[in-house]
Amino acid sequence: MIPFSRRAVLMGLGAAGLSAAVPGPAKAQNPFQRIDGRPWFFLSDAEARFFAAAGDTLIPGDEFPSATQAGVVDFIDLQLAGPYGQGATLYLKGPFPQGTSAQGWQMPYTPADLFRRGIALMGDSGTPLADLDAEGRNDAMTRLSEGETDIGPDIPATGLFDELWALVREGYFADPIYGGNRDYAGWEMVGFPGAHAYYLDFVEVNAPYPVQPRGIAHVPGTNRPAEFPGARRGG
Amino acid sequence: MVTTLPKTDVVIVGAGWTGLAAAYELAHNGQRCVVLERGSYRHDATDFAGPEEHDELKYARRKEHMIDTPVKTLSFRNNRDEQALPMRRLGSFLPGKGLGGAGIHWNGQLWRPLPSDLEMRSHYTDRYGASILDGMTVQDWGVTYDELEPHLDFFDRICGTAGIAGNIGGEIQEGGNPFEGPRSAPYPNPPMKTPPPLQRFHDAAQGMGLHPFQMPSANVTQSYENPYGAQLHPCTYCGFCERFGCGYYAKADPIICIYDRLKGHENFELRFETHVLRVEKSSDGQTVTGVTYVDAEGREVFQPADVVCLNAYGLWNVHLMLVSGLGERYDPATGEGTLGRNYAYQTIAAVSVIFEEDVWSNPFIGAGALGMTVDDYNGDNFDHTGLGFVGGGYISANQTNGRPINYQPVPPGTPSWGLEWKQALRETYAHHVGIVCHGSSMSVPENYLDLDPTWTDDYGQPLLRLTFDFPDNDRRMAAWVLDRAEEIARNMEGVRHISTSNNAAEGEAYSIVPYQTTHNTGGAVMGTDPATSVVNRYGQHWDYHNVFVFGACLFPQNLGYNPTGPLMGLAYWTIEHMKRDYLPDPRPLMDA
Repeated sequence: MIPFSRRAVLMGLGAAGLSAAVPGPAKAQNPFQRIDGRPWFFLSDAEARFFAAAGDTLIPGDEFPSATQAGVVDFIDLQLAGPYGQGATLYLKGPFPQGTSAQGWQMPYTPADLFRRGIALMGDSGTPLADLDAEGRNDAMTRLSEGETDIGPDIPATGLFDELWALVREGYFADPIYGGNRDYAGWEMVGFPGAHAYYLDFVEVNAPYPVQPRGIAHVPGTNRPAEFPGARRGG
Repeated sequence: MVTTLPKTDVVIVGAGWTGLAAAYELAHNGQRCVVLERGSYRHDATDFAGPEEHDELKYARRKEHMIDTPVKTLSFRNNRDEQALPMRRLGSFLPGKGLGGAGIHWNGQLWRPLPSDLEMRSHYTDRYGASILDGMTVQDWGVTYDELEPHLDFFDRICGTAGIAGNIGGEIQEGGNPFEGPRSAPYPNPPMKTPPPLQRFHDAAQGMGLHPFQMPSANVTQSYENPYGAQLHPCTYCGFCERFGCGYYAKADPIICIYDRLKGHENFELRFETHVLRVEKSSDGQTVTGVTYVDAEGREVFQPADVVCLNAYGLWNVHLMLVSGLGERYDPATGEGTLGRNYAYQTIAAVSVIFEEDVWSNPFIGAGALGMTVDDYNGDNFDHTGLGFVGGGYISANQTNGRPINYQPVPPGTPSWGLEWKQALRETYAHHVGIVCHGSSMSVPENYLDLDPTWTDDYGQPLLRLTFDFPDNDRRMAAWVLDRAEEIARNMEGVRHISTSNNAAEGEAYSIVPYQTTHNTGGAVMGTDPATSVVNRYGQHWDYHNVFVFGACLFPQNLGYNPTGPLMGLAYWTIEHMKRDYLPDPRPLMDA
């Protein structure tokens, strides 16, 4: 039997591929390696490929990692499996009449439901995002962000895009304990020093702050946090 | 089946700033106080310590310290022609939960009202003629600055506020806010430090003849002991302030400043996970008998009390009064009734300033109240003749919350995602500062609170319903003050790009979605006339004299300042009159 591999799932992306799913050699200690064999907590393989393709369109790789290289798909998988995805802080009592944009979320779905339905409906009506080339993905994201993608009557396209873009950015910049921002990819890019925050002597200094990022579970003497918590918990 | 407990002297609904202040003062005055708190126990030392607290996803994005909408929310619409729909997710404002309430996740921007703010209708009528207030239900607070000053000053001492006084006993002081009312004493602690962007704002404003000063801060700047004996420590500028509790004991909050000094008192009892359903009215028609709540096991409990204090978040105070029938509901069609009337908010606009590469803002270095401010365009500090609006706001360059998920400045015209966005963000992040226009909010007949006809909470009670849009007055004010802020930005040194945003821009409906500020005011306003106020000038209910109401729900309209200072001044004012006048002889303190 061929063991499950998240990496293999994401490598199955079409012609445009993803710089993406494969961590570079310099990242040999990448926690991704440790959860590669873990089945998704929430996502299907097709959903994982959607988030990888969307993530790397929104945050492509350059001299800094792409969204998937930074672990954003793993982050989204965990988020959708957890309290956020399951709507723990959403008031979801009906009825659900259509509102104005000023009235905010009026969909009868948890975030997890929203993406499950939304991705399926978008897949039904055209080529899955992951099977498009780079230009096609860009066009698809532009249409989605501008509300021009038809995802059925009860999912506004911009609502889905806003939620998607928020998740991708969270995955790129949240503390690495949540599975994204791998090896402090996002924090290194902008120069954010992280969770160990004490700046009393630097407030008035007009200069870059010369300290490497450190997360909540930072391992002293390394450039990484403690191992990915999902892996530590075991099955 | 309802369990009835033994009677207590005072029952207090809510363990935030006002509730714990009332409990402290009344317990030490000999009253047995029972405080009912919907949320759970938590403490700065054990629950807010770094690095775990420094988790932007958990606290700033998932809002772990805030009320969960399944527990408590409201419905919202812009106007009476729309159907209000539930606020299903937090956004525009963030009420708290648990010990300390919203007082643990505030920024610590600690202001006091201008003397003219408290007599707003009289003041504007005298200076400009009454017609300048046409279409607005702006009114006097019923209490003057001089009456409140000792209580505003006391709260500065509770918090260890850091700043430079601008006016001590009528003498204008160098470096402070020259527009403020006279203070009886300087701030207890020296002002905060000045990061490079704030220095540039200061120099530009001063060069334009304005009066910049360091924002008054309840992020404490040196070791400090408050009047209750609480020990506070100097702020570390860690940048995790708004939306976070402070594990450094540096941001004044109700837990360390009051609760810790009260918890062992024999007259004090705090019951967690108690959800108050209603205040029970007496058959005598002029008092209440106590409150009914649901405890952690789901049992209904009646707590009888001689006095009921409402100290929940302002919105929830109004909700509790509405579902309890305490007062006549406001009807915007007729203008009759007072309960729910004069809801107001805060009118926020901003300038985004991107510096040249050699100016480092390092925005992660920050504190909730780290700001350089001018007050020249707030309240009636400037001549409103011919401007077409009343009110104003302070303009402040703030370095407060530069964490990388929520703080992603890019130059105007940058695509909102993709490679160009990514590159722009990394070039901009450490070279940016925001300038806020923190504008006042006038009350108008069509902005109000009542009960929703459709949606209910888990206890079967109707949701609170909020009907609000920015009044035209405030839209004009915001546009004008924003222009002033942009002028300052243009005079700052080393600036590469400037852009503006305005929540109250012409043609834009108020939206419940993007965060603006947790400064919801009114709905149970104070005053001297029962036809236009729910409580009298002491915070005592006009119809039920043993009910005292606290918080920003008392504000007849909202100031151009953050509400915690003013509402705590009012709280100590109310408490003093309870101790000195009401409790020895319970009765209405004013004739209706």
